[in-house]
Formats: sequence, C-alpha cells, structure tokens
Amino acid sequence: MSHESGKQGSPQSAAQAEAEREAVHPDALFSEVDACPTLLNISRVTKRLAPQRDDLARVGLKVACVSSFTFDPLKPALELQGLRAGMGIHSYISPYGQYEQELINPSAGLADFRPDVVLVTIRLQDVCRPIYDEFNGMTEDDAKRVLDDWINRLSAALQTYRERASAYILMQNYDLPAVSATGITSRGQLYAQADAIEWANKQLARLAESIDNLYVMDYDGLVARMGRRRWSDPRTEFYARIPIANDHYWPLTGFYIRHLRPLYGLSKKAIVLDADNTLWGGVVGDAGPNGIELGNDFPGNAYVAFQKRILDLHHRGIILAIASKNEPGSVESVLQNHPDMVLRPEHFATTQINWNPKPDNLRQIAEDLNLGLDAFVFMDDSPVECEMMRTALPQVLTIPLPKDPAAYPDIIESLDCFDQWTISAEDRKRGELYKAEAGRREFQRQTVDLPTFYRHLEMQMTLFIDCVAHVARASQMTNRTNQFNMNTIRCSEDDIRKFMAATDHEVITLALRDRFGDNGVVGLAVVRRREEAWTLHLFLMSCRVLGRTVEQTVVRWIKKRAQRAGVKQLTAEFVPTSKNKPFAGFYRECGFNLAGPSSDIQRWECELEGAETDAPDWMAIDIGHPDRQTGT
Amino acid sequence: MDNGQKFRSIVSTILQIPEHEITDDLSSETIDTWDSLNHINLIGAIEQEFGLTLDASTLSQFQSIFKLKAMLAEHGVSV
Repeated sequence: MSHESGKQGSPQSAAQAEAEREAVHPDALFSEVDACPTLLNISRVTKRLAPQRDDLARVGLKVACVSSFTFDPLKPALELQGLRAGMGIHSYISPYGQYEQELINPSAGLADFRPDVVLVTIRLQDVCRPIYDEFNGMTEDDAKRVLDDWINRLSAALQTYRERASAYILMQNYDLPAVSATGITSRGQLYAQADAIEWANKQLARLAESIDNLYVMDYDGLVARMGRRRWSDPRTEFYARIPIANDHYWPLTGFYIRHLRPLYGLSKKAIVLDADNTLWGGVVGDAGPNGIELGNDFPGNAYVAFQKRILDLHHRGIILAIASKNEPGSVESVLQNHPDMVLRPEHFATTQINWNPKPDNLRQIAEDLNLGLDAFVFMDDSPVECEMMRTALPQVLTIPLPKDPAAYPDIIESLDCFDQWTISAEDRKRGELYKAEAGRREFQRQTVDLPTFYRHLEMQMTLFIDCVAHVARASQMTNRTNQFNMNTIRCSEDDIRKFMAATDHEVITLALRDRFGDNGVVGLAVVRRREEAWTLHLFLMSCRVLGRTVEQTVVRWIKKRAQRAGVKQLTAEFVPTSKNKPFAGFYRECGFNLAGPSSDIQRWECELEGAETDAPDWMAIDIGHPDRQTGT
Repeated sequence: MDNGQKFRSIVSTILQIPEHEITDDLSSETIDTWDSLNHINLIGAIEQEFGLTLDASTLSQFQSIFKLKAMLAEHGVSV
C-alpha cells in the first residue's frame, strides 16, 4: 500500500518467521516491509519472491541511476519496489561522482547500458555545498552565481544526453535544509537560503519544459513528509557518502517507482469498496439505514472523511464500484437516502450487492467496465474477504482496512498507485463515462439485435487531425490503454507533438457522443503517409467504447482518405502482449491479410482497391476543428 | 526468533551464504560477498534489528563474525 510509511514497530518477530514457512501472497509480504522497512526485510522478501519474479514483472525495464551520492545500497529496495508495481528492473548505477561525465560521454557506462529510464538523483548539497554549509558567508550575488553555474552545467549535460538517447529522464528536485541557516530570521527580510533553493527548483521545472521526456520528481516534498531532521544519517554520509538514513531506503525507492508507474501503464484505474464497516460503521442489514455510524461525531466522522477522500479520487478520474454482501435494497437505500453519505449512486460506475463470493463479483465488475483485473484496487475491513481476494485474484491490489476507522482516510492519501503525469478533462468526468457505459450495457441486454442496438445509441463520431489541444490526452491514452492497442508503444506529449509536426505523419484523435452522453476523446491513430502505402503506426481505442463498431469505422475512414490520396495499400502491425488480446482478429475483420511473421511482430496489409470505406449507417461522422473540439 | 537466530539470519541474508557456513572465523578477508558495500549493509541491518546506533568512527571495524559478536556483547546482546 503505502510506499512511504516510515519504520514502525519492532524488528521481525517469531510469528513472522513462522509465517515465512507458509505460502504468503506478495501483497502481504510487501505490507510486512511497509510496516518494518529494514534492510533485512527487504533482502528477505526479495529472496522469497525470486521464484515469482517473472510472473510479477509485467514490464521489463532498464533503469540507470545517475547520482551525486553512493546509490548502490538503494538498489535492492529499488528493484523490489519495482517488482511490487509490476516492473522487472535491471539497474545500472553510474560510478560515484561521475554524474556529468556519464551524461555527456557517449562511451560512458550509461550509454552502453542503453536504459529505458534514467533517474537523476543529484542532491544540491553535493553539487552546491556552500548554499547549505556557508550560506551566511555568501552575498546574494555569490549564491546566485554558484547556483546559476550548476544549473547551466546540468542543463548542458542533460541536453547532450538527450541528443543521443531517448530514455525517459526522471530528475529529483532539491530539498531544503532541516534548519534554516539564518535561524529564526523571517523570510522576506533578506535573501533567504530557502529562496536560493527554490530558485534552483524553478530552473529544474524550466528544464523539464525545454528537454523532451524529462520529468521532475518532488523530492523536497517527500523529505518534508518523512521529516527533514531524520532523513539523513550523518554517520553513513561522512563515512560512505550515503546521506539517506537506511530506514528511508524503502519509502525513497517507492517514491521513485511511483513516478514510473504511469509511464508504463501500471497505474491502477478503479477501486472496489466493501460497504459495511468500510463506507460506514456497523452492518446496515442488522442496524438498518438509520442505525449505521455515519455523521458528525466519532466514529461516523471518520467514515465521512474517508468517503470525501474517495470522492476526491473519483474527481481525479478513478472509477468507483461497490462489492458488498448484503440485500441489494439496503445498500442502495443508504447511498440514496442517508443524509450524511458523501458518495452517492452517481459516483459508482457499478455495484455488486449480493451474496456471491467477492472475487466473482470483482470479475463481473471488471467485465462490466471492460477493464483488466490488474487495474483494480480492492478495499475491505474483513481479513477473510481480503485473503480470499488475494488468493483468487492476485492481480488485484487488495488493501485490508485496519481496525480503527480513524486510520481510514490516511490510507487513501498514502495510496500511490493511481498517478498520472497529467490530469485531463476526461479524467475529471471518467466516473460519469463509466456509469454511462454500464447504462449502455443494460440497454444492450434489452435490445434484440446488434444493428438495432447501434442505431438506438445514436452515435456521433468526431475526428480530429493533428489537434494540438488533444496532445496531453493522446499521450495519456498511449500510456493507459493496454487492451485495444496494436503495439502498446507508449508516447510522451513531446512524441505526439513531433508526430503532429511531421509532414509525413498525421495524428487522428476521435471523440464520441451518444444518447447516453459524451464519451470524450476515446481513440487515437497515428498514420505514416508514404506514396506507396499508408501505415498505421499507432492505433488504440479506449476499451470503454469497444464493441460499438467505432474502431472499424475509423479504419474505414482512414482507408477512404488513403484511397483519395491515390495510395494503393494500408499496412499495420500487431505486437501481441498478454493484455491486448481484444485486438487480435481485428485486422482480419477489417479486410487486412497477414503478410509478415505470425510471432512477435505481425505485419498486416490491406489492398485499398474496392475496399469497404463507408461508415456503417448507424454512425454519423464529422471532422472536428481544433478550436471547437468536444471532450476537452 | 532469539538473538542468535536473528544474527545468523542477518549474516546469511546479507552475505548470501547458508547459515551453517557462518563461523567466528568468517571475515571480509575470507569471503567475496563481504565487500565494502555489504559491510555497510551488514552493520546497518544489525543496527536496525538490535536497535543500536554505532559511532561513525567504529563503522569500519567489526570485519569478522568474531568481532561483530564481541561488539554485540558489549551492547549487552548475546548471540
């Protein structure tokens, strides 16, 4: 759960040694490390999970660390935190103190390693020491010159590296000292140490704007949360240049991994909640809707606070659902009528309130929402339900709630698995979108045949070409979409902008409205245009709109454009993964033939002469104008 | 887990050797995995598990099992 929980409790007990002999789920092992993040526990759990490593690692990643301090001792924690998030990390640590040489030198170890990600973990303490140790002896000009020199050197090194390699660069910002050099003197009276460091942090933010695929991580925020005073261990800093106290290896590496998750489609998308003793205190079936604990006084206020945090996640784009063992009417009645409920029926995309085993219900919810099981977080106060979920569906991140409801709100705050680098308009209304999707499915069950269903949906598709306003959403879709995705190539916003700017590429985004509402921007195609053939370089569709002929319609529309341009052939690739099975078969359905190997990368071709290019009669199409797009 | 078991578990996990190979003679001179990085890890893990804080000036000492045990005994921990 939390990657940032500090060291608590006593070291390993005999009970844990006992548990060691039994089969334990990875989540339970990770929670043990959260509770007591010692070096021994990190090594012990790494060893225990070694046989499962290949199953847990959904993405293989080469991560290089370019650091101003001795990073090596953090390596085991980094790899284990990666495994927890679904990454099989192979890491490289740059030689001590050679951060600039490594970035600049084309024959350095960093270049040889060819990383997917470079973590730049440079502390300002190590590169501009006087700002921390001798600040009062410096004039404002001295301080600014020292910082400016460093930022220029850093900028040059990063730009040199960027010209040579396209790896993501994740760089930590600079932390303030625990105690200000000027004592109690208030800021504003003079040029303060904090002003100097904050200025440097602003420069880092500017570097992120000017260098492609460079992201800044708020390390200062992490150190502040964990406590600046105890963050460092002067003994290991002086003795071995390891400034970070070893109690913090686990939260620090969890922090780094948290920033990688969204870049590799490993962020969670939905929470399934229990109801009794989770959303409110007590059992509604026993106490009745008026007898549950929910309101202004303890413990009811803790549940209200918990619900507010969940609602806030919902407004960030996280989908909510309920799985509760209850009579259906009782939970619905609380959702609709209880005066102190924060979460209302409209916030839940779907609910499963029945007496079936919860893993079955979760599977049903995943199917209703068309999401993979590994996109889900499950929360329940019952250890038995949690154990059952972990056993039946290990892909789901199961979070057992503690006994004390006062601790519930913090659990939401410390969840670090929902991050995205940008929050788009789609995110803010995603809950509604999925709710509408559940409505459509219900409607589909009622209608007789598919064409009738499609016609009744009254679908209106709007296609945009190189629409700059959709850059963030397009990049986000490449990072989030795993199921209907031809090659699962992840793109940054800069990548998308480059496609838009390239004369031989076009970026097609599509928005969809229907009688149930606006789905927003739900699909992306990047087409490479050559005289002899056009090629689908990227093609993906939000799984929310699958099964409504949207994807076929877009391909027909692209074929028509290609025909008009006098092109004879449309080609495409398919790179099968464990998750994009919904894509298999799609090209054949669209009139493509398999032309290349049928193994890792399939090549498909479609002759355009005589190809079907008209949209089905149930789909209205128009072309969007960048200044009046829908869905943004 | 008693202190002796805990100690063997730390050494065996950090140095990646089976517990039965842990003897008083074992030292950074006799085994490759006991390098400078693992020495820091070993001391760090012992500090964490037994709740100790050693002086920086002593961190580089205790380069054998015999010396580690003596250090722990000085802190009242019998392994």
